[in-house]
Amino acid sequence: MKLTRRTLLRTTAAGAGVLAMPAVLRAQEPEKPSEIIVRAWGGAWGDALKAGVADPFTAATGIPVRLDFTEDNEIKPKIWAAVDQGRVPPIHVNWDTSTNATISALRGACVDLSDLSNLEGLLPLHKPVGLEGYPLVNTYAYVYVCAYRPEAFPDGAPDSWSVLIDEKFKGRIALYDDGIGFNPIAVIAGGGTFDDIPGNMEPGYEFYRKLKANEPLLGEDPDFTSWFQNGEIDVACTISVNARAARTSGINVEWTVPKEGCKVDTDGLWIPKGLPANEEYWAKEFINLALTEDVQKNWCGQLGLPPVFPGIEPPADLVGDPSYPTSPEDFAALVSVPTPILVENQPLWFAKFSEIFQG
Amino acid sequence: MKRTTGWLLLTPALALTGILLIGLGWMLELSLHTLNIATYRLNPEYTVENYATILSRPVTWTVMARTLGGAALVTLATLILAIPYAYLLVRTPSAFTRKALLIALFLPFFIGQVVRAYGWLIILGREGLANDIITGLGLPPQDLLFNYGTVVFGLVQYMLPFAVLLLVPALSAIPEDVERASEGLGAGWPQTFWFVLIPMAGPGLIGASVVVFTLTVTDFAMPEILGGGTQDFFASLIYDAFFQISNAGLGAALALLLTAVGSLIVAVIFALAGTGTLGFRSAR
Repeated sequence: MKLTRRTLLRTTAAGAGVLAMPAVLRAQEPEKPSEIIVRAWGGAWGDALKAGVADPFTAATGIPVRLDFTEDNEIKPKIWAAVDQGRVPPIHVNWDTSTNATISALRGACVDLSDLSNLEGLLPLHKPVGLEGYPLVNTYAYVYVCAYRPEAFPDGAPDSWSVLIDEKFKGRIALYDDGIGFNPIAVIAGGGTFDDIPGNMEPGYEFYRKLKANEPLLGEDPDFTSWFQNGEIDVACTISVNARAARTSGINVEWTVPKEGCKVDTDGLWIPKGLPANEEYWAKEFINLALTEDVQKNWCGQLGLPPVFPGIEPPADLVGDPSYPTSPEDFAALVSVPTPILVENQPLWFAKFSEIFQG
Repeated sequence: MKRTTGWLLLTPALALTGILLIGLGWMLELSLHTLNIATYRLNPEYTVENYATILSRPVTWTVMARTLGGAALVTLATLILAIPYAYLLVRTPSAFTRKALLIALFLPFFIGQVVRAYGWLIILGREGLANDIITGLGLPPQDLLFNYGTVVFGLVQYMLPFAVLLLVPALSAIPEDVERASEGLGAGWPQTFWFVLIPMAGPGLIGASVVVFTLTVTDFAMPEILGGGTQDFFASLIYDAFFQISNAGLGAALALLLTAVGSLIVAVIFALAGTGTLGFRSAR
């Protein structure tokens, strides 16, 4: 979705409306901080957060929002250390994967968000799984798709993840460097079933051993875009946002959901404990605004991801796209591993992935 | 020199070493606790389980071998390139050449390692400058990135200025008269280089080797960026343990293992070469 002046004005007005309150109550508002720092992912992700949430928040409150692009895994120990030592944490809001956010919640590092007024009426997807209350709130779902260069697939989109072990694409395939987004899919592609997860991951590991022989590149979100751009790869397992961003910037990339399915997951927002009361208040207001209809429509529309606010139509280019699930049937066609299982098993999967691909 | 003056001069070094030891002690303490997945905190009980885990994993030794092998290759290649560079820098009679060499030596210090690695991505990429030349010659494009050779190449380019800087003082300390005397006694330049210059430049060579080797062993960015994710050095394993799986105990155990292996190798080099080669021998 392109951000037009009209959209910005409408979103800002909506934000102002949400945050507006009688003058008497406004007088009781806590003091505004000089800025709100939000940890974010860069590239298309950061652009969408800025235009979709941060700018409307600033317009409505006058509080500037600074995006901190520290890697999500690197900010984690900094926040934990600050919380444990009673120091003020380095950011106000963490935009995080639900799995990482849940890990922070298990450590007791998250502020409870149960009192946010805009939680009501959201899709069930917004509620964190396996946790008491709301130490985090999920904001949208996303899918790890099979992205490919159409020139490399003249007969049409690959219909199976086994394309990754096809010798024809040796050295021209890519995955995330810890296997995130593909670990459960590898089990199914390797001949196992969803029920094997997490008890029997061996079919997935066997698939990885074959995949290793095909010399994949392993990277992070920005790597996929540049690899496609520079013609280094033909096919990759990456989040649809990255593939869509590559296409928006003129790179010929398509994506598909192969027959084995794709992993669907959620991201969320949370606030670390230890902020001064007034800053925590405004950090909550930031998240509250991110859950409103117009902001969800704008933010998630730019990302190309299904929001947790119900009834929002997908962007025109994603109508009917299986990587944009909206109904329970759409979600059922994808592979969703409950967050508690991910939290408990992901370190083991990452370690095994490293053992296979670095060994 | 008074005894107290000596201790006073040593104070900064002792303070730095003390801080380092405190850090190592803290890492040792961390490494003796396992992760509790239910709370993502370290268990309070002391155990050597993290060490048992890392020592029993084949990937630890594969990546360690890749790291040490890479460091040895980088050290050797860097010295081979650094010696003629440093020699020319010291002996050239041309002020212009000396200045040009000095500028070329110091310029890379203004460009960080990550930026340089990304520069190589642009030059060596499938659609980069190198492949433009290759295809311009009528040859098919080559995959020049994301392999062990590229990582070693990137590290050599990064380490070269360090090695040259360490070799220059050692070569400057050798009077030109010594070379002339050698040649006057009938030795050709290759013999003079091999039997006179290299032994006399020993302190610089050992110092440069140790610095390049230890910097390479602990390097993170070059293997991470130029290796395409499959040529990780040991620092990446440590990073993954600390940040990717949030297991500080395991990360600390890996870090201490690397410190121990690196220190052992440096100790062996000093034992074989003698600390005297670094110029520490008394002038008596």
